Amino acid sequence: MVCLLLAVPAYAQGREGVPTLSGYMETHLNKEQNLPTEADMHRFVFMVGHSFSDRIKFWSEFEVEHAVVTGAGVSGEVGIEQAYVDLMLHRRFNLRAGVVLVPVGIVNERQEPPTFYGVERTFVDTVIVPTTWRDAGVGAFGDLGRGFSYRAYLLPGMDAAGFTAADGIAGGRQQGSRADASDPAVSGRLEYRRRGLTAAGSFWAGGSGFGLIRLDIETPTVTVGSLDARYRRGRHELRGQWVAVNIGGAGDLNRALQLQSGNSPNIASRLLGAYGEVATRVSPERWADEVVAFARYELFDTQNKMPAGFLPIQELQRSAMVIGATYFPDPDVAFKFDVSRERNKSEGIQGPWRLNFGVGWWF
Amino acid sequence: MMKLLIISLLLLGMPQAPSPKPQAPRVIRVSAERFAFTPSEIVVEQGTTIEFHLTSDDTDHGFRIIGTDVNAEIPKRRRGETVVKYVADTAGRFVIECSRPCGAGHTAMRATLVVK
Ligand SMILES: [Cu+2]
Repeated sequence: MVCLLLAVPAYAQGREGVPTLSGYMETHLNKEQNLPTEADMHRFVFMVGHSFSDRIKFWSEFEVEHAVVTGAGVSGEVGIEQAYVDLMLHRRFNLRAGVVLVPVGIVNERQEPPTFYGVERTFVDTVIVPTTWRDAGVGAFGDLGRGFSYRAYLLPGMDAAGFTAADGIAGGRQQGSRADASDPAVSGRLEYRRRGLTAAGSFWAGGSGFGLIRLDIETPTVTVGSLDARYRRGRHELRGQWVAVNIGGAGDLNRALQLQSGNSPNIASRLLGAYGEVATRVSPERWADEVVAFARYELFDTQNKMPAGFLPIQELQRSAMVIGATYFPDPDVAFKFDVSRERNKSEGIQGPWRLNFGVGWWF
Repeated sequence: MMKLLIISLLLLGMPQAPSPKPQAPRVIRVSAERFAFTPSEIVVEQGTTIEFHLTSDDTDHGFRIIGTDVNAEIPKRRRGETVVKYVADTAGRFVIECSRPCGAGHTAMRATLVVK
Protein backbone atom coordinates (compact mmCIF):
# COMPACT_ATOMS: atom_id res chain seq x y z
CA MET A 1 0.00 0.00 0.00
CA VAL A 2 1.50 3.27 -1.09
CA CYS A 3 0.34 6.72 -0.31
CA LEU A 4 1.85 10.03 -1.34
CA LEU A 5 0.64 13.52 -0.71
CA LEU A 6 2.04 16.18 -2.98
CA ALA A 7 0.07 19.37 -2.74
CA VAL A 8 -0.68 19.82 0.94
CA PRO A 9 0.46 18.19 4.14
CA ALA A 10 -1.34 15.13 5.35
CA TYR A 11 -4.35 15.84 7.43
CA ALA A 12 -5.59 13.87 10.35
CA GLN A 13 -8.88 14.73 11.92
CA GLY A 14 -8.36 15.25 15.62
CA ARG A 15 -7.71 12.13 17.61
CA GLU A 16 -9.86 9.04 17.49
CA GLY A 17 -12.86 9.47 19.74
CA VAL A 18 -12.48 13.23 20.20
CA PRO A 19 -15.62 15.22 19.33
CA THR A 20 -15.30 17.91 16.67
CA LEU A 21 -16.54 21.47 16.94
CA SER A 22 -17.56 23.63 14.01
CA GLY A 23 -20.32 26.13 13.33
CA TYR A 24 -21.55 29.16 11.50
CA MET A 25 -22.66 32.66 12.38
CA GLU A 26 -24.35 35.53 10.59
CA THR A 27 -24.87 39.15 11.57
CA HIS A 28 -27.12 41.43 9.55
CA LEU A 29 -28.02 45.06 9.12
CA ASN A 30 -31.51 45.27 7.62
CA LYS A 31 -33.42 48.29 6.41
CA GLU A 32 -36.98 47.75 5.29
CA GLN A 33 -38.99 50.61 3.84
CA ASN A 34 -40.99 52.42 6.55
CA LEU A 35 -39.36 50.43 9.34
CA PRO A 36 -36.39 51.36 11.54
CA THR A 37 -32.95 50.06 10.58
CA GLU A 38 -32.15 46.89 12.48
CA ALA A 39 -28.82 45.33 13.44
CA ASP A 40 -29.14 41.70 14.33
CA MET A 41 -26.94 38.74 15.18
CA HIS A 42 -29.36 36.57 13.30
CA ARG A 43 -27.82 33.17 13.90
CA PHE A 44 -25.07 31.79 16.08
CA VAL A 45 -24.71 28.06 15.57
CA PHE A 46 -22.36 25.50 17.05
CA MET A 47 -22.08 22.09 15.48
CA VAL A 48 -20.73 19.25 17.55
CA GLY A 49 -19.97 15.92 15.94
CA HIS A 50 -18.54 12.69 17.15
CA SER A 51 -17.44 9.50 15.49
CA PHE A 52 -18.06 6.52 17.74
CA SER A 53 -16.57 4.31 15.04
CA ASP A 54 -16.43 4.16 11.25
CA ARG A 55 -20.03 2.92 11.37
CA ILE A 56 -21.62 5.11 14.04
CA LYS A 57 -21.61 8.90 13.78
CA PHE A 58 -23.26 11.64 15.77
CA TRP A 59 -24.00 15.15 14.52
CA SER A 60 -25.71 18.08 16.16
CA GLU A 61 -26.44 21.74 15.67
CA PHE A 62 -27.24 24.10 18.50
CA GLU A 63 -28.55 27.51 17.56
CA VAL A 64 -29.17 30.88 19.18
CA GLU A 65 -31.26 33.19 16.98
CA HIS A 66 -31.28 36.98 17.46
CA ALA A 67 -28.56 36.96 20.13
CA VAL A 68 -30.65 37.36 23.29
CA VAL A 69 -33.27 35.06 24.72
CA THR A 70 -35.28 36.56 27.55
CA GLY A 71 -38.43 34.49 27.45
CA ALA A 72 -40.58 37.62 27.49
CA GLY A 73 -42.02 39.46 24.50
CA VAL A 74 -40.14 39.58 21.21
CA SER A 75 -36.76 37.99 21.71
CA GLY A 76 -34.54 35.39 20.21
CA GLU A 77 -34.75 31.67 20.46
CA VAL A 78 -32.50 28.82 21.36
CA GLY A 79 -33.01 25.62 19.46
CA ILE A 80 -31.64 22.23 18.56
CA GLU A 81 -31.59 22.27 14.78
CA GLN A 82 -30.19 18.79 14.41
CA ALA A 83 -29.09 16.03 16.75
CA TYR A 84 -28.95 12.57 15.28
CA VAL A 85 -27.04 9.35 15.15
CA ASP A 86 -26.19 7.65 11.87
CA LEU A 87 -25.74 3.91 11.68
CA MET A 88 -23.82 3.11 8.51
CA LEU A 89 -24.95 -0.26 7.22
CA HIS A 90 -24.50 -0.29 3.48
CA ARG A 91 -23.74 2.19 0.75
CA ARG A 92 -27.37 2.09 -0.35
CA PHE A 93 -29.03 1.89 3.04
CA ASN A 94 -28.06 3.56 6.30
CA LEU A 95 -30.18 4.51 9.28
CA ARG A 96 -30.59 7.88 10.96
CA ALA A 97 -32.50 8.73 14.15
CA GLY A 98 -32.92 11.93 16.14
CA VAL A 99 -33.72 15.53 15.22
CA VAL A 100 -33.19 15.86 11.47
CA LEU A 101 -33.54 18.61 8.87
CA VAL A 102 -36.53 18.13 6.58
CA PRO A 103 -34.83 17.44 3.20
CA VAL A 104 -37.06 19.78 1.13
CA GLY A 105 -35.51 22.40 -1.17
CA ILE A 106 -31.93 23.66 -1.32
CA VAL A 107 -31.44 25.89 1.70
CA ASN A 108 -33.00 23.89 4.52
CA GLU A 109 -30.15 21.38 4.40
CA ARG A 110 -27.48 23.85 3.23
CA GLN A 111 -27.65 26.75 5.66
CA GLU A 112 -24.01 27.72 6.04
CA PRO A 113 -24.01 31.43 5.04
CA PRO A 114 -21.25 31.13 2.39
CA THR A 115 -23.37 28.55 0.51
CA PHE A 116 -26.13 30.93 -0.60
CA TYR A 117 -26.25 34.41 -2.10
CA GLY A 118 -28.13 37.21 -0.44
CA VAL A 119 -28.00 38.30 3.18
CA GLU A 120 -31.18 36.52 4.22
CA ARG A 121 -32.34 33.10 3.07
CA THR A 122 -34.63 33.36 0.06
CA PHE A 123 -38.26 34.46 0.53
CA VAL A 124 -39.31 31.06 -0.85
CA ASP A 125 -37.19 29.37 1.80
CA THR A 126 -38.82 31.49 4.47
CA VAL A 127 -42.56 31.61 3.81
CA ILE A 128 -43.16 28.62 1.49
CA VAL A 129 -40.55 26.11 2.74
CA PRO A 130 -40.25 27.19 6.37
CA THR A 131 -36.53 27.07 7.17
CA THR A 132 -35.15 25.95 9.52
CA TRP A 133 -37.57 23.04 9.25
CA ARG A 134 -36.66 20.08 11.40
CA ASP A 135 -38.26 17.48 13.61
CA ALA A 136 -37.53 14.36 15.59
CA GLY A 137 -37.79 11.19 13.59
CA VAL A 138 -36.17 8.18 11.98
CA GLY A 139 -35.17 7.46 8.45
CA ALA A 140 -32.82 6.02 5.90
CA PHE A 141 -30.32 7.44 3.43
CA GLY A 142 -27.92 6.09 0.89
CA ASP A 143 -26.11 6.34 -2.40
CA LEU A 144 -27.93 4.53 -5.21
CA GLY A 145 -25.08 4.81 -7.73
CA ARG A 146 -24.95 6.61 -11.11
CA GLY A 147 -25.09 9.93 -9.25
CA PHE A 148 -28.34 9.27 -7.39
CA SER A 149 -28.75 9.49 -3.63
CA TYR A 150 -31.73 9.69 -1.30
CA ARG A 151 -32.95 10.52 2.17
CA ALA A 152 -36.31 9.41 3.56
CA TYR A 153 -37.70 10.11 7.01
CA LEU A 154 -40.71 9.35 9.15
CA LEU A 155 -41.60 12.42 11.21
CA PRO A 156 -44.43 13.88 13.28
CA GLY A 157 -47.01 15.89 11.31
CA MET A 158 -47.71 19.59 11.71
CA ASP A 159 -50.16 21.50 13.86
CA ALA A 160 -52.60 23.13 11.44
CA ALA A 161 -53.78 25.50 14.19
CA GLY A 162 -50.50 27.37 13.62
CA PHE A 163 -50.99 27.96 9.87
CA THR A 164 -51.48 31.56 8.70
CA ALA A 165 -52.32 33.43 5.51
CA ALA A 166 -48.99 35.30 5.42
CA ASP A 167 -46.50 32.68 6.57
CA GLY A 168 -48.20 29.54 5.33
CA ILE A 169 -47.34 26.38 7.23
CA ALA A 170 -44.34 27.81 9.12
CA GLY A 171 -46.29 28.20 12.38
CA GLY A 172 -47.33 24.54 12.26
CA ARG A 173 -43.82 23.16 12.67
CA GLN A 174 -43.22 21.26 15.87
CA GLN A 175 -39.41 21.39 15.76
CA GLY A 176 -38.89 18.22 17.75
CA SER A 177 -40.20 19.89 20.90
CA ARG A 178 -42.64 17.53 22.63
CA ALA A 179 -44.02 17.03 19.15
CA ASP A 180 -47.41 15.38 18.94
CA ALA A 181 -46.76 12.40 16.71
CA SER A 182 -50.34 11.18 16.42
CA ASP A 183 -50.45 12.39 12.80
CA PRO A 184 -47.31 11.07 11.11
CA ALA A 185 -45.60 12.47 8.05
CA VAL A 186 -43.10 11.18 5.53
CA SER A 187 -40.49 13.28 3.83
CA GLY A 188 -37.87 12.42 1.28
CA ARG A 189 -35.46 13.68 -1.31
CA LEU A 190 -34.01 12.06 -4.40
CA GLU A 191 -30.91 13.86 -5.61
CA TYR A 192 -28.90 13.52 -8.80
CA ARG A 193 -25.34 14.78 -9.06
CA ARG A 194 -22.77 15.00 -11.74
CA ARG A 195 -19.87 17.39 -12.11
CA GLY A 196 -21.26 20.90 -11.75
CA LEU A 197 -24.91 19.85 -11.53
CA THR A 198 -27.14 18.93 -8.60
CA ALA A 199 -30.85 18.35 -9.28
CA ALA A 200 -33.42 17.00 -6.88
CA GLY A 201 -37.05 16.32 -6.18
CA SER A 202 -38.30 16.37 -2.61
CA PHE A 203 -41.55 16.11 -0.69
CA TRP A 204 -43.20 16.18 2.70
CA ALA A 205 -46.64 14.65 3.24
CA GLY A 206 -48.59 14.19 6.42
CA GLY A 207 -51.55 14.91 8.59
CA SER A 208 -51.79 18.03 10.66
CA GLY A 209 -54.96 17.69 12.67
CA PHE A 210 -54.04 16.79 16.22
CA GLY A 211 -54.12 20.42 17.38
CA LEU A 212 -57.74 20.58 16.20
CA ILE A 213 -59.10 17.51 17.92
CA ARG A 214 -61.99 19.31 19.58
CA LEU A 215 -62.97 21.14 16.42
CA ASP A 216 -64.61 18.07 14.89
CA ILE A 217 -63.26 18.43 11.34
CA GLU A 218 -61.41 16.01 9.14
CA THR A 219 -57.67 16.01 9.63
CA PRO A 220 -56.18 18.55 7.21
CA THR A 221 -53.50 16.92 5.10
CA VAL A 222 -50.46 18.81 3.91
CA THR A 223 -48.31 17.87 0.95
CA VAL A 224 -45.23 19.78 -0.07
CA GLY A 225 -43.57 19.01 -3.39
CA SER A 226 -40.40 20.65 -4.61
CA LEU A 227 -37.95 20.54 -7.51
CA ASP A 228 -34.58 22.25 -7.33
CA ALA A 229 -31.35 22.45 -9.27
CA ARG A 230 -27.94 24.07 -9.04
CA TYR A 231 -25.46 24.26 -11.89
CA ARG A 232 -21.97 25.65 -11.84
CA ARG A 233 -19.61 26.13 -14.74
CA GLY A 234 -16.42 28.14 -14.45
CA ARG A 235 -17.29 31.45 -12.85
CA HIS A 236 -21.04 31.15 -13.45
CA GLU A 237 -23.71 29.58 -11.32
CA LEU A 238 -27.42 28.99 -11.86
CA ARG A 239 -29.90 28.00 -9.22
CA GLY A 240 -33.63 27.41 -9.26
CA GLN A 241 -36.36 25.98 -7.13
CA TRP A 242 -40.07 25.37 -7.46
CA VAL A 243 -42.29 24.37 -4.56
CA ALA A 244 -46.02 23.88 -4.06
CA VAL A 245 -47.74 23.35 -0.72
CA ASN A 246 -51.24 21.85 -0.80
CA ILE A 247 -53.44 22.01 2.28
CA GLY A 248 -56.37 19.61 2.07
CA GLY A 249 -59.44 20.69 4.01
CA ALA A 250 -58.35 24.35 4.19
CA GLY A 251 -61.97 25.56 3.99
CA ASP A 252 -63.08 23.50 6.99
CA LEU A 253 -59.91 24.52 8.79
CA ASN A 254 -60.65 28.23 8.28
CA ARG A 255 -64.27 27.84 9.44
CA ALA A 256 -63.26 25.81 12.50
CA LEU A 257 -60.53 28.25 13.52
CA GLN A 258 -62.97 31.13 12.99
CA LEU A 259 -65.46 29.53 15.40
CA GLN A 260 -62.67 29.22 17.92
CA SER A 261 -61.08 32.68 17.64
CA GLY A 262 -63.64 34.85 15.86
CA ASN A 263 -61.42 35.51 12.82
CA SER A 264 -60.87 33.39 9.77
CA PRO A 265 -57.11 32.91 9.27
CA ASN A 266 -57.78 32.77 5.50
CA ILE A 267 -55.46 29.83 4.98
CA ALA A 268 -55.06 28.94 1.30
CA SER A 269 -55.47 25.49 -0.18
CA ARG A 270 -52.32 26.01 -2.22
CA LEU A 271 -49.13 28.01 -1.67
CA LEU A 272 -46.68 28.43 -4.51
CA GLY A 273 -43.05 29.46 -4.52
CA ALA A 274 -40.36 29.55 -7.17
CA TYR A 275 -37.09 31.31 -7.80
CA GLY A 276 -34.37 31.54 -10.39
CA GLU A 277 -30.93 32.94 -9.67
CA VAL A 278 -27.88 33.75 -11.75
CA ALA A 279 -24.52 34.47 -10.16
CA THR A 280 -21.12 35.28 -11.64
CA ARG A 281 -17.72 35.67 -10.08
CA VAL A 282 -16.74 39.12 -11.28
CA SER A 283 -13.32 39.33 -9.63
CA PRO A 284 -10.27 38.54 -11.81
CA GLU A 285 -9.14 34.92 -12.03
CA ARG A 286 -5.77 35.74 -10.46
CA TRP A 287 -7.33 37.06 -7.25
CA ALA A 288 -7.58 34.61 -4.40
CA ASP A 289 -10.37 36.74 -2.93
CA GLU A 290 -13.65 36.47 -4.79
CA VAL A 291 -16.45 38.89 -5.58
CA VAL A 292 -19.67 37.34 -6.84
CA ALA A 293 -22.61 39.34 -8.19
CA PHE A 294 -26.06 37.79 -8.34
CA ALA A 295 -29.66 38.49 -9.34
CA ARG A 296 -32.69 36.49 -8.28
CA TYR A 297 -36.36 36.62 -9.11
CA GLU A 298 -38.72 35.06 -6.61
CA LEU A 299 -42.39 34.25 -6.55
CA PHE A 300 -43.86 33.56 -3.11
CA ASP A 301 -47.61 33.40 -3.10
CA THR A 302 -49.16 32.12 0.12
CA GLN A 303 -52.69 32.65 -1.27
CA ASN A 304 -52.21 30.94 -4.62
CA LYS A 305 -55.42 28.92 -4.57
CA MET A 306 -58.21 29.49 -2.08
CA PRO A 307 -60.78 27.00 -0.81
CA ALA A 308 -64.37 27.56 -2.03
CA GLY A 309 -65.92 30.58 -0.33
CA PHE A 310 -62.63 32.35 0.47
CA LEU A 311 -60.94 35.16 -1.43
CA PRO A 312 -57.17 35.60 -1.61
CA ILE A 313 -55.51 38.46 0.24
CA GLN A 314 -53.80 39.96 -2.81
CA GLU A 315 -51.13 41.68 -0.76
CA LEU A 316 -49.79 38.21 0.06
CA GLN A 317 -49.51 37.15 -3.57
CA ARG A 318 -45.93 38.34 -3.68
CA SER A 319 -42.87 38.39 -5.87
CA ALA A 320 -39.47 40.02 -5.45
CA MET A 321 -36.40 40.98 -7.42
CA VAL A 322 -33.18 40.70 -5.43
CA ILE A 323 -29.78 41.85 -6.64
CA GLY A 324 -26.57 41.96 -4.71
CA ALA A 325 -22.98 40.90 -4.28
CA THR A 326 -20.86 38.79 -1.96
CA TYR A 327 -17.20 39.37 -1.18
CA PHE A 328 -15.35 36.22 -0.09
CA PRO A 329 -11.94 37.05 1.49
CA ASP A 330 -11.93 33.30 2.13
CA PRO A 331 -14.36 30.71 0.75
CA ASP A 332 -15.73 30.34 4.30
CA VAL A 333 -16.24 34.04 5.02
CA ALA A 334 -18.89 36.04 3.16
CA PHE A 335 -19.52 39.78 3.30
CA LYS A 336 -22.89 40.28 1.69
CA PHE A 337 -24.98 43.09 0.32
CA ASP A 338 -28.31 43.05 -1.44
CA VAL A 339 -31.27 45.19 -2.33
CA SER A 340 -34.72 43.81 -2.99
CA ARG A 341 -38.01 45.11 -4.26
CA GLU A 342 -41.15 43.26 -3.33
CA ARG A 343 -44.30 43.42 -5.43
CA ASN A 344 -47.77 42.00 -4.95
CA LYS A 345 -51.12 41.72 -6.70
CA SER A 346 -52.90 44.26 -4.53
CA GLU A 347 -53.90 47.58 -6.10
CA GLY A 348 -53.55 49.63 -2.95
CA ILE A 349 -50.70 48.23 -0.90
CA GLN A 350 -47.18 48.40 -2.32
CA GLY A 351 -44.55 45.87 -1.38
CA PRO A 352 -41.54 47.30 0.46
CA TRP A 353 -37.97 47.65 -0.72
CA ARG A 354 -35.24 46.35 1.51
CA LEU A 355 -31.55 46.98 1.86
CA ASN A 356 -29.46 44.34 3.62
CA PHE A 357 -25.83 44.07 4.68
CA GLY A 358 -24.41 41.03 6.37
CA VAL A 359 -21.40 38.99 7.28
CA GLY A 360 -21.52 35.25 7.65
CA TRP A 361 -18.85 32.67 8.24
CA TRP A 362 -18.32 28.98 8.70
CA PHE A 363 -15.52 27.30 10.63
CA MET B 1 5.19 14.81 10.98
CA MET B 2 2.33 13.01 9.23
CA LYS B 3 3.85 13.97 5.88
CA LEU B 4 7.18 12.45 6.87
CA LEU B 5 5.40 9.34 7.99
CA ILE B 6 3.56 9.06 4.71
CA ILE B 7 6.65 9.63 2.61
CA SER B 8 8.47 6.96 4.60
CA LEU B 9 5.49 4.67 4.03
CA LEU B 10 5.99 5.39 0.37
CA LEU B 11 9.66 4.48 0.53
CA LEU B 12 8.90 1.31 2.45
CA GLY B 13 6.09 0.49 0.13
CA MET B 14 7.88 0.95 -3.17
CA PRO B 15 9.69 -2.39 -3.45
CA GLN B 16 6.50 -4.20 -2.56
CA ALA B 17 4.52 -2.69 -5.44
CA PRO B 18 2.85 -5.70 -7.07
CA SER B 19 3.14 -4.89 -10.76
CA PRO B 20 6.40 -6.08 -12.29
CA LYS B 21 6.68 -3.31 -14.90
CA PRO B 22 6.14 0.34 -13.98
CA GLN B 23 2.63 1.32 -14.92
CA ALA B 24 1.36 4.82 -15.61
CA PRO B 25 -0.90 5.81 -12.72
CA ARG B 26 -4.57 6.13 -13.43
CA VAL B 27 -5.64 9.70 -12.78
CA ILE B 28 -9.01 10.00 -11.08
CA ARG B 29 -10.42 13.46 -10.43
CA VAL B 30 -12.76 13.77 -7.48
CA SER B 31 -14.52 16.98 -6.55
CA ALA B 32 -15.92 17.54 -3.10
CA GLU B 33 -18.83 19.75 -2.20
CA ARG B 34 -21.10 19.82 0.83
CA PHE B 35 -22.13 16.97 1.20
CA ALA B 36 -20.95 14.66 -1.56
CA PHE B 37 -18.00 13.48 -3.58
CA THR B 38 -18.36 13.40 -7.36
CA PRO B 39 -18.04 10.71 -8.61
CA SER B 40 -19.37 8.79 -5.62
CA GLU B 41 -18.24 5.44 -6.98
CA ILE B 42 -14.78 4.66 -8.33
CA VAL B 43 -14.02 1.24 -9.85
CA VAL B 44 -10.47 0.06 -10.59
CA GLU B 45 -8.69 -3.22 -11.33
CA GLN B 46 -6.62 -4.71 -8.54
CA GLY B 47 -3.01 -3.56 -8.75
CA THR B 48 -3.86 -0.22 -10.34
CA THR B 49 -1.84 2.73 -9.15
CA ILE B 50 -4.37 5.49 -8.66
CA GLU B 51 -3.49 9.14 -8.64
CA PHE B 52 -6.41 10.93 -6.99
CA HIS B 53 -6.66 14.62 -7.87
CA LEU B 54 -8.89 16.14 -5.22
CA THR B 55 -10.51 19.57 -5.37
CA SER B 56 -13.29 21.33 -3.51
CA ASP B 57 -16.11 23.54 -4.72
CA ASP B 58 -16.57 25.13 -1.30
CA THR B 59 -14.87 24.63 2.06
CA ASP B 60 -12.09 22.20 2.94
CA HIS B 61 -13.04 18.56 3.17
CA GLY B 62 -11.22 15.39 4.12
CA PHE B 63 -10.60 12.34 1.96
CA ARG B 64 -10.13 9.25 4.05
CA ILE B 65 -10.22 5.73 2.65
CA ILE B 66 -11.32 3.66 5.62
CA GLY B 67 -9.01 0.74 6.29
CA THR B 68 -6.02 2.35 4.57
CA ASP B 69 -3.49 5.02 5.49
CA VAL B 70 -5.07 7.54 3.14
CA ASN B 71 -6.43 10.56 4.99
CA ALA B 72 -5.85 13.79 3.10
CA GLU B 73 -7.17 17.31 3.38
CA ILE B 74 -8.81 18.78 0.30
CA PRO B 75 -8.12 22.53 0.19
CA LYS B 76 -10.88 25.10 -0.17
CA ARG B 77 -12.27 26.24 -3.52
CA ARG B 78 -9.62 27.68 -5.88
CA ARG B 79 -6.89 26.93 -3.35
CA GLY B 80 -5.27 24.16 -5.40
CA GLU B 81 -5.64 20.42 -5.42
CA THR B 82 -4.42 17.54 -3.33
CA VAL B 83 -2.80 14.65 -5.14
CA VAL B 84 -2.86 11.28 -3.44
CA LYS B 85 -1.23 8.17 -4.90
CA TYR B 86 -2.65 4.87 -3.85
CA VAL B 87 -1.85 1.38 -5.07
CA ALA B 88 -5.04 -0.61 -5.04
CA ASP B 89 -3.40 -3.90 -4.16
CA THR B 90 -6.22 -5.23 -2.03
CA ALA B 91 -9.47 -6.26 -3.68
CA GLY B 92 -12.72 -5.25 -2.08
CA ARG B 93 -15.06 -2.34 -1.47
CA PHE B 94 -13.63 0.58 0.46
CA VAL B 95 -15.60 3.38 2.02
CA ILE B 96 -14.26 6.89 1.42
CA GLU B 97 -15.47 9.40 3.97
CA CYS B 98 -15.08 13.12 4.48
CA SER B 99 -12.84 13.33 7.54
CA ARG B 100 -13.17 17.05 8.14
CA PRO B 101 -16.45 18.47 9.52
CA CYS B 102 -18.02 20.48 6.70
CA GLY B 103 -21.59 21.19 7.79
CA ALA B 104 -25.09 19.88 8.29
CA GLY B 105 -24.75 16.71 6.17
CA HIS B 106 -21.11 15.89 6.89
CA THR B 107 -21.66 12.45 8.42
CA ALA B 108 -23.18 11.12 5.20
CA MET B 109 -20.50 12.54 2.91
CA ARG B 110 -19.15 9.27 1.54
CA ALA B 111 -18.04 7.55 -1.63
CA THR B 112 -17.02 4.02 -2.56
CA LEU B 113 -13.80 2.66 -4.03
CA VAL B 114 -14.29 -0.74 -5.64
CA VAL B 115 -11.11 -2.70 -6.34
CA LYS B 116 -11.88 -5.68 -8.60
CU1 LIG C 1 -17.07 17.20 3.71
